Amino acid sequence: MKVFKVFLLFVLIMAYSGCEKDELVRDDYKDILENIGYNVILATYAELDAQTLSLASALEDLEVNPTGENLEKARQAWRNARVPWEQSEGFLFGPVDQQGIDPSIDSWPVNQPDLEAVLASPNVLTKAYIDGLDGTLKGFHTIEYLIFGAQGTKDIPAFNAREFEYLRACSQSLEGATRQLYYTWKPDHQNFIANVVNAGQTGFTSVYPSQKAALEEIVNGLVVIADEVANGKINDPLSQQNIHLEESRFSVNSKQDFADNIKSIKNAYEGSYKTTDGKGITDIIALKNIGTDTKVRQQIDAAIEAIESIDGTFTTAIFDARPSVQNAQQKVRDLQLTLESEVLPIISNL
Amino acid sequence: MLRAISFVLLIGCLSSCSKEDAIIIIADEDVNLGGATSISGSFIQIFQQPSPNLNTEELEFHRASDRAFGDIFVTAPSEVNGGLGPVYNQNACESCHTSNGRSPFPLDPNNLRGLLLRISMPGKGVNGEPLSVPHFGGQLQNKALFNISPEGKISWMEHIETVKYADGEEITLTKPIFSITDTYVNLPSNILISPRIAPPVIGLGLLEAINEADIEALADIVDANNDGISGKPNKVWNYKESALTLGRFGWKAGQPTLLQQTAAAYNQDMGVTSSYFPIESSYGQDQADGQEDDPEIDDITLKAATFYPQSLAVPRRRNVDDAVVNAGKKLFKILNCHGCHNPMFVTGQHEEYNFLSGQTIYPYTDLLLHDMGDGLADGRSEFDADGREWRTPPLWGLGLAKSVGGQNANYLHDGRAKTLEEAILWHGGEAEVSKNTFKTLSKNDRVAVVKFLESL
Repeated sequence: MKVFKVFLLFVLIMAYSGCEKDELVRDDYKDILENIGYNVILATYAELDAQTLSLASALEDLEVNPTGENLEKARQAWRNARVPWEQSEGFLFGPVDQQGIDPSIDSWPVNQPDLEAVLASPNVLTKAYIDGLDGTLKGFHTIEYLIFGAQGTKDIPAFNAREFEYLRACSQSLEGATRQLYYTWKPDHQNFIANVVNAGQTGFTSVYPSQKAALEEIVNGLVVIADEVANGKINDPLSQQNIHLEESRFSVNSKQDFADNIKSIKNAYEGSYKTTDGKGITDIIALKNIGTDTKVRQQIDAAIEAIESIDGTFTTAIFDARPSVQNAQQKVRDLQLTLESEVLPIISNL
Repeated sequence: MLRAISFVLLIGCLSSCSKEDAIIIIADEDVNLGGATSISGSFIQIFQQPSPNLNTEELEFHRASDRAFGDIFVTAPSEVNGGLGPVYNQNACESCHTSNGRSPFPLDPNNLRGLLLRISMPGKGVNGEPLSVPHFGGQLQNKALFNISPEGKISWMEHIETVKYADGEEITLTKPIFSITDTYVNLPSNILISPRIAPPVIGLGLLEAINEADIEALADIVDANNDGISGKPNKVWNYKESALTLGRFGWKAGQPTLLQQTAAAYNQDMGVTSSYFPIESSYGQDQADGQEDDPEIDDITLKAATFYPQSLAVPRRRNVDDAVVNAGKKLFKILNCHGCHNPMFVTGQHEEYNFLSGQTIYPYTDLLLHDMGDGLADGRSEFDADGREWRTPPLWGLGLAKSVGGQNANYLHDGRAKTLEEAILWHGGEAEVSKNTFKTLSKNDRVAVVKFLESL
């Protein structure tokens, strides 16, 4: 009986200390929300806008001086701009969706019949004209189709003047869309970021009634992109063995896209972006369950490594190197499962 | 004794650790608005969550169906997603259903997202359906593929009126009056126009699973109980059964099933044909593409796009312990808002999915048609719904509308009401008495009613 009482006391103390740790160690998440808001999300959007501006400049150079060298510079500028966009897909919530900006940036597939028809028309191709077209006639993938060609091997003689004209206007339109997106979050413009950093704060208006709600938003965004990469972007071409279902096939950029999507998860989870490193979701999870935190970090890195290790191009690998693609897919699914079944419940129970 | 004290302490400690458990214990009966499909949360992506009671197979299908809902269509021939148009309103399901919520009211008339115009000639067809407008059909497609003419453009003017409360406070109400311009051929001058904004798509599977008899039981077509509220089921053409059956979906309950609703949206909104509606919306018109590529989506895609809204979670109510919310809840009943916004149903056996069956749900709709007065009337009939009647829209998720869709995600069929208060004040007809009683309430009580609605 005495042993039982001692045991019960021990259980009580453990339970109490568990509570104390949960409740007292951290009950304010403003620093995390501020860091993810400013140093990850806003910084990614700023980088995206800077890179699409460089792309527009490169395509203007190409129109003025259509050389092989300028074509390669434009292609590299496209790849550079693609990085922050893919790294923003872990937080596709808010204005990017509500204000209908996403379709102007990343509509897929390209409407090839209509694109050819527009090019063959006498219409003057200005930024305003492109702005008025459907998303499938502008944005990253339309530019990709025009500068890389359907087989990815397009060279300068294969271009005509209308394509250069279209590319210039289309890249200006893309830059306009990325600037609009950046400004929706920017504090001195539409200031959507205030919703995140001021979540649950008395005296502030926010779409989030609590910091927990803002954190749930962020973690849900990570789950969404992990699902999209594993079960959409990788699975559709892989399971149907159909190269036409591959999103960035013309540029042979799919592996980079997938890896940057997972880096998007890494950035928000770890609170890091480029050279800055601050508070992230990890700072909550590590306190609650260090095992889960370690697992998530390892699974993020394992997923990126597996994607980068897919043999050859993604286009050929879905036929010739399926195990390496399946391995990458499984690694992303593992990460998705942990985010869904371990990380999200911790956040939802804050 | 020690054991007893320890037990109390332990319970106390554990319950302070686990707030979620505590909430479940004290839960109000109508917290779980969608029964076992309910989830907690108050964030933008809350309408994009799978129902938590899906089995593994269903969850996998839900994820695949999410992609079908997001698929963007382009001009045929295309290796991927060909078949858009030739005339259309949008190129993807999610282009209108923003984050699965209601579409924001478009700020720019030339950049419409989730707003469209249904059109018809005066009168009815043999089954009560609206009469097609020659060369236009039943819906204005205001976009078209390159080198094709859209049927027309939409424009509007604002009509402003003022409502005065008993306490003297005035509220300004704005109503858009729509017109059609730049038509590709002459439009008859006597057409009827009904503007429609894309509604949220949560909870639709549950509404489909309600037994028809339970909906019919709420009907009171001749107002036999003399409470000023009739309630009429719409009987609409069911293409699968080739018969008139109960309408449940759409602003006038014009569609009987989610499958038909989805196939109709593909066909009319995107110009995409399916086995359900294999004829292009532009058939017989000058813009028809003449391609023999129908159906443009297969049955699996149609089923997936139907399953996606069927399998979405419904958000739980929030702030249920708030005194103001609860005062508003009582007033909602006293004002007889329940007369149409019927709080509760128990779903029957869904034809295909057990997770929708036998659920106690709180959609706050009777799925019946009600005369809503001149202010809301569109003057266009749709089967048994006349030009003043609308189906009671479900209210679940109402308080999350602006979070999900943004500040321009407005209320009512044409998105005219910027606030819930404005939406209440637009009620008329069978809701005239309730609305007028609301106008006599004190400011605090009016706020309480709105706070209750925001808890949904």
